[in-house]
Amino acid sequence: MTFLEKQTDPTSPMHWRGNMQADYLYLSGVAGDKFFKHLMKNDTFLATKCPECNKVFFPPRLYCEDCFCEIPEEKWFEVPSKGSIKLFTIATIDSYGKKLKEPKVIGLINIDQTDGSLLGVIKTDKPDEELQGVHVEAVLKPKDKREGTLKDILYFKKK
Amino acid sequence: MMSMKKEGYPKYAPGTHVSRKDIRNKNKTYTWWEPEVQYSWAMGPAISRFLQELKNGKIIARCCNKCDRVIVPPRMFCEYCYKPTDKWLYIKDTGTVETFSIAYLDGDARRIKDPILIGVISIDGASPQHGFMHYFGEMKPEELHIGMKVKAVWKPEKERTGAITDIKYFKPLKGGGK
Amino acid sequence: MRKVAVIGAGMTLFRRILQETGKELSFLATKMAMEDAGIEKKDLDMVIMGSAPDAFDGIHLKGENLLDGAAAANKPYVRVFNGGGTGVFAPIAGWWHVASGVADVALVVCEEKMGSCFPHPQTAFRHIWDPFLDRPLNTNLVWLFAMEMNRYMTVHNIKKEDIARVAVKNKRNAVGHPCAQLPDENITIDDVLNSEVVAWPVQRLDISPPSDGASALILCSEEKAKKYVEDPITIAGVGWNIDSTMWTNRDLYFPRYVANAAKMAYKMAGIDNPRKEIDFAEPYDPFDYKELQHMEGLLLCDKGEAPILTREGVTQRDGNLPICPSGGLLGVGNPIAATMGQKVCELYWQLAGKAGKRQIPTDPQIGVGQAWGDIMQMGTVIVMKR
Repeated sequence: MTFLEKQTDPTSPMHWRGNMQADYLYLSGVAGDKFFKHLMKNDTFLATKCPECNKVFFPPRLYCEDCFCEIPEEKWFEVPSKGSIKLFTIATIDSYGKKLKEPKVIGLINIDQTDGSLLGVIKTDKPDEELQGVHVEAVLKPKDKREGTLKDILYFKKK
Repeated sequence: MMSMKKEGYPKYAPGTHVSRKDIRNKNKTYTWWEPEVQYSWAMGPAISRFLQELKNGKIIARCCNKCDRVIVPPRMFCEYCYKPTDKWLYIKDTGTVETFSIAYLDGDARRIKDPILIGVISIDGASPQHGFMHYFGEMKPEELHIGMKVKAVWKPEKERTGAITDIKYFKPLKGGGK
Repeated sequence: MRKVAVIGAGMTLFRRILQETGKELSFLATKMAMEDAGIEKKDLDMVIMGSAPDAFDGIHLKGENLLDGAAAANKPYVRVFNGGGTGVFAPIAGWWHVASGVADVALVVCEEKMGSCFPHPQTAFRHIWDPFLDRPLNTNLVWLFAMEMNRYMTVHNIKKEDIARVAVKNKRNAVGHPCAQLPDENITIDDVLNSEVVAWPVQRLDISPPSDGASALILCSEEKAKKYVEDPITIAGVGWNIDSTMWTNRDLYFPRYVANAAKMAYKMAGIDNPRKEIDFAEPYDPFDYKELQHMEGLLLCDKGEAPILTREGVTQRDGNLPICPSGGLLGVGNPIAATMGQKVCELYWQLAGKAGKRQIPTDPQIGVGQAWGDIMQMGTVIVMKR
């Protein structure tokens, strides 16, 4: 089947411009709220351990996705805000495709004493160095400036 | 089974209620996000022509020769016969109110004092119940009724841009349609 | 095709805003359903997620976001949605997983978090309109329903008070529901008629509230179901149907797509005379007039007759044809897809005699649940039997 008439006049309008405007307020959730509230007052992270399979969730979760059990209060514990780089990339453009003034190193950091990881900016003097497995620590905002979001972690740096 | 009858399901109701006050007072942590995405939607030949004709002060429809429909808003295919439509046809700028609402809520869900009169108008010359949504004007809310005859009020030619809003609104049609 | 039974159900609290993330809500509903059925994650063959537009939660690929809370990590998993029709369509998708024989035990989870969208969930609804013909008029979705309600009232010469009776009945029915957002045992017709006019003829108390919530249902092949429950409740028929998106070219007073879906489901269930054979129904009631239109679409009465049955008390919980004994969306809340809790889980609880304070006293044997969505065009229907 083909349309019996085609649009061949290049001066006739063919597109309509618009957006899908809506703003969002994402609550951190029950586990997330506890994690961020702890981070607002401390320089350490929180994690949770599954009572059945002993997997350590970071960021902490309310439940184990494998055993599908709830993680009780006593299985929450503090871990240092440190870890080792599992994956990394050197970004030269931002999320809109614009060139960055300086390359930015983004890494996935395995948090110590947990089975989880966190995405973060890695500050380094030599962006071209091998970063795989390198141990880093989080640099946090001053306590009075923290707001309870991921932005409270400024970046990670080599120890 | 009998013992269960008294118990009642769901047995409990898990979840933590959060009030607007909790959010305002930042009792709960949250992340705020304003997505920025722009779109350029392809209008396709039917709507492109339809809007272009509105700029000329005319309403145009497409016809399906199989089911004999005069279709507005026009489309290049008939969704019922599932075949291409066959030809263009200018229709009138008068019609009948199929339904309407007197809205005290605007597009952003804000309360408004002067209501927006909005409805669906089937256009004269098209098949029954073929038309589009638009505003009404030059009438009191209580005059508006289903079955009312109405006529398009156009923007001045210079202000038209090839949009559904090239028609300002529909007004009561009086005195035999002229 | 194999017969499919329901062996467990669960749902969370419904509120305008809940603290839990979508994943956490999915977990809470799923956990309750698993406890009810007496099964664990390892017993599930497949998982089906139902969730309406991504724009409510504000997370694209929402199905993928939710899956670990829905016991789906490392399982065959699919998300389905057709707007408001999802709450019944997701269990229909669950049904075909089991009926076809590809799964013995399937979990259906439905989730919605409308509280994330600001300034109001209406903002997200704005993006379902046609970008060329409707959106330039700066439309509000309530206008659409106001126009449909007006047409329905005018065609059948229905008084507003006969529509308001539905809101009163459902908000009163919701009093016995532990998850309910807007139960009200003292509400009167005058309260509805005197509430703020939002878009005439729609007034504030004609509308169900936006909500956060989740619900879950566990389906099982009938033969295996005996392992878990003595008298399984079975799914006797399913149907779904959609009308043209060109809504300004439709009649707007009779939902023929619901009728088509109902006929499909009734044929499968061997129901020849729905009025006589069906004991109760959970039609979709995001607005009070929709319950009436949907009773007509479900062929439970003639066109224009539903308001009369409501006025005569036939649709009360102790009436001849109880409608929305759960309290519906008007009373329990409207987290779009998660209304599976009222439209399908409630059928299970009622048929199993587990509905507690909400229990229909006449020992129902057959119930029908229905949802409605997209741009007033989608009908989804499920028939369940004891």
